Amino acid sequence: MNTLPRSFLRWSRFLLLIGMSVVIAACGNNPGNTYDPYGDNARRIYELLIPIWWMALGVFVVVEGLLIYAIWRFRRRAVGAAMPAQVHGNTQVEILWTIAPAIIVLVIAVLTFRTQAENAVMPDDALRIKAIGHQWWFEFQYPDLGAEGKPVVTASDMYIPVGRPVTVVLESQDVIHNFWVPKLAGKTYMIPGKTNFLTFTAEQPGIYRAVCAEFCGEAHALMRFRVIAVDEAEFNRWIEQKKTPPSAPAGMLTVNGLTGDAARGQAIFLDARKQCIACHAVEGTNARGQIGPNLTYYGSRQTIAAGILPYSPDNLDRWLRDAPKLKPGNLMSRVLTPQWIKANLSDQEIADLVAYLDSMKVSVTLPPER
Amino acid sequence: MAIAERTAGTVSPPSVSVRPGWAGWLSTTDHKRIGIMYLVSAFVFFLIGGIEALLMRIQLGVPDNTFLTPDVYNQMFTMHGTTMIFLGLMPLNVGLGNYMVPLMIGARDMAFPRLNALSIWLFIFGGLMLYVSFFVGGAPNVGWFAYAPLTQKQFAPTAGVDYWIIGIGLTGVASIAGALNFIVTILNMRAPGMTLNRMPLFVWMQLIVAFILIFAFPVLTVGTIQLLFDRHFGTRFFLPNLGGDAVLWQHLFWFFGHPEVYILILPTMGIISEVLPTFSRKPIFGYAFVAYSGVAIGFLGFLVWAHHMFAVGLGPLANAFFGAASFLIAVPTGVKIFNWLATMWQGSLHLTTSMLYAIGFISMFVIGGISGITLASPPINVQQTDSYYVVAHMHYVLFGGAIQGIFAGIFYWFPKMTGRMLNERLGKWQFWLMLVSFNLTFFPMHLSGNEGMPRRIYTYESEMGWNLWNLLSTIGSLLLAVAFLLFLWNVLTSIRRGSIAPADPWDGATLEWSVSSPPPVYNFAVTPRVRSRRPLWDEKYPHLHEVNGSHETPAARLRGLLYDGAEGEMPMAMEPIHLPSPTYAPLIVSVGIMILGFGIIYLGDFGVIAASAMLVGLLIMATGILSWVRISHVDSPYQAH
Repeated sequence: MNTLPRSFLRWSRFLLLIGMSVVIAACGNNPGNTYDPYGDNARRIYELLIPIWWMALGVFVVVEGLLIYAIWRFRRRAVGAAMPAQVHGNTQVEILWTIAPAIIVLVIAVLTFRTQAENAVMPDDALRIKAIGHQWWFEFQYPDLGAEGKPVVTASDMYIPVGRPVTVVLESQDVIHNFWVPKLAGKTYMIPGKTNFLTFTAEQPGIYRAVCAEFCGEAHALMRFRVIAVDEAEFNRWIEQKKTPPSAPAGMLTVNGLTGDAARGQAIFLDARKQCIACHAVEGTNARGQIGPNLTYYGSRQTIAAGILPYSPDNLDRWLRDAPKLKPGNLMSRVLTPQWIKANLSDQEIADLVAYLDSMKVSVTLPPER
Repeated sequence: MAIAERTAGTVSPPSVSVRPGWAGWLSTTDHKRIGIMYLVSAFVFFLIGGIEALLMRIQLGVPDNTFLTPDVYNQMFTMHGTTMIFLGLMPLNVGLGNYMVPLMIGARDMAFPRLNALSIWLFIFGGLMLYVSFFVGGAPNVGWFAYAPLTQKQFAPTAGVDYWIIGIGLTGVASIAGALNFIVTILNMRAPGMTLNRMPLFVWMQLIVAFILIFAFPVLTVGTIQLLFDRHFGTRFFLPNLGGDAVLWQHLFWFFGHPEVYILILPTMGIISEVLPTFSRKPIFGYAFVAYSGVAIGFLGFLVWAHHMFAVGLGPLANAFFGAASFLIAVPTGVKIFNWLATMWQGSLHLTTSMLYAIGFISMFVIGGISGITLASPPINVQQTDSYYVVAHMHYVLFGGAIQGIFAGIFYWFPKMTGRMLNERLGKWQFWLMLVSFNLTFFPMHLSGNEGMPRRIYTYESEMGWNLWNLLSTIGSLLLAVAFLLFLWNVLTSIRRGSIAPADPWDGATLEWSVSSPPPVYNFAVTPRVRSRRPLWDEKYPHLHEVNGSHETPAARLRGLLYDGAEGEMPMAMEPIHLPSPTYAPLIVSVGIMILGFGIIYLGDFGVIAASAMLVGLLIMATGILSWVRISHVDSPYQAH
């Protein structure tokens, strides 16, 4: 019996070490960590989780403790051990352990409803942003901020001001998607034929990772976006630039060993035979396609193909050549197969296209990645 | 009694009892053989579902892996979920129930033995149809929950979804028929003296599950048939752009889907309510509370379906209601857990493999219950839903809970079913390996989920910080596979070389241990008289029997006395034994229904061929039904030995 406490101590130290490393790992600032909130909605949820977590730990320790104690204390020590007393039950303890969990869940319910009410508030002065889910990318519209009644339209990067409530109006173009920015707010579905709302306020500037969280078909895993929270002045600067169509393209860019010409790239882009404008739009040009993402100021995107590749001219070049491999099932490469691209776009033309898309830039001071 | 007098002496031993070899299995109506067929086929499907899980885990072991293509991965998780739920867990529970319920209530068979045979065949064919899809254009790839409108033809053009609809439909018919069979059997065929309040708790839970099933399953069937019509025949139930409603599908699906969880877990709660008392050498603590908390769980299970839909935008009020109802389920669940602990308390715990699994059930199910509480809270839920946290929660309930419960049951009843003991040493190795590797696989998923990893993604980026958790999960899953191989090895060797099982190897309390291992085809030569909750135990230990114990209500005691009083009038030894004859009719009907199902799948695309197939199927089905009707009155009773 003398060795028992010592070995117990050793084990508990070991378990504590494991537990601590788990906690440290869990609290690390991974880009999707819900334990590391930067938005009011996510913060309230996190603050609700903490007391529930402690209660859960209490229940866990009591039940598992009783279980382990019972195994250790009451295990049969010898064959033919004496028959234990045949106890059939006890109404008083039954009532006790019916009421005990009832009280615990009552407390949890009250805490829950409070947080629920707080997170359901939708202030009138919130900035409205329409988010539309597509297989497999996110479109964002700023209906109240456009020029001449036309909303500012973009995709994959959702700019928001810090410190001002944002109400995201959620819709879907095809199947059900799920809008999730773990560090800012909980999930809300984007459902075809239904409009949902989600309100939250970013508390710190930052680039936040976000994903579609509802299975939506082949490339569900590759349907991501970024929420870019900047201070109000920077946000207004961004939206003012977005309202003005890009100026005439000019300039050269070396991509994949070839020198692309932005002006020539625009001509290719607008050439109906090259198919780009069948799906894509660029403000201020004849490109008015509505099926794919709006490419206005594409050169300032953070990512390519809905969050799967960091934006760079080289990656854009890869994407134009290798879309089916990079994002299996995507609509563009189902229509314009690699064979079609090979037959209809020369390497030089692809370089020109990349140069054109890269030439359209807005100037924004980017916040840190969170 | 009148029947007994009329048939006694006029009928000699039956002309046909059991056909030899394969024919015996194909034509059987014996609940024990059907139970074994359920267990074996479900275990095969279970292993296939496990292989699908392993493939997924290998894909997710490292970031940016290219082991599986996204489409194959999507097929894998769809088939894994569908297989484990409809073809694995459910039929494993049905198999144990099929074998054990008649034995535990002192009956000779299920109430409708031929319907029972129809159920097993429809289940097997339904499962096979699901798997045929792999060879005809691809398995379903829309998730086991098949959310509309992703299931519509424009988004899911392969026949996989159609095979899913028909496969699930066949197993659904099998389940509903089986549930009716269980209800009638349990309510009508208990041995004299076995009041409802004397029924073994496993039987109680099977009864509750049967009721849940007949209310929940038809809703799924209706939903899937609507989906079939949407896909092929121009309806638009779930098509939002044509006036339908995508959310309607979710209501239909989860109105079935949540009670389904209790369909999976309650029988295993019943199992451990048998195993814990036996190996604690005590009666179950709070019998009535354990039984009626099961009823409460079954009832509440129908009021919580929308907790799967907190992110759908049903509104704060609806979410609050469904959250509160979900919290409530913690109460009867807690009652059960405390009663199990109290059953062990001051007992004499015999730590057999079966008992270890029952204890493992409690310890892991508690974790699943706790993570269930956070998921039931709507605000927390919207962070955790559709993330790996849910995967962790659900596996703690269905693997740590249900699978461990089923293993407790298999190690407990294997000797009864086969006449051989499973190897205990191997079983304990399996238990410990499984417990460790289960936690290694699924515990990290709580963390990856809360760190933002969504479900059903075939790949992830290294910089998301989920690498360690996923690697641990993958290593755990490979070790889990070893644990299952140990079990397979144990079964295959023990069934031939295991030590011979006596009738009552565990010093049990209930009726199944009063007959030989394996039981004779007629189960009981003489229908037993039941005077308490532990008929065999009280016979073995009469000095421990509390006639006036607090565990029986006065009313139940009175009913018991009435039966006891009538004892003298009952023929005890000369009772002829009525057993159903073997028949191929249920098999033929099932084959017909399956061919009909193939026809339906292709009716939209290949009208004439499909219609002819349907016609052939209907004809085969009609033939089967005719022969079923013809043989239904020629059963030959035979004399007790």
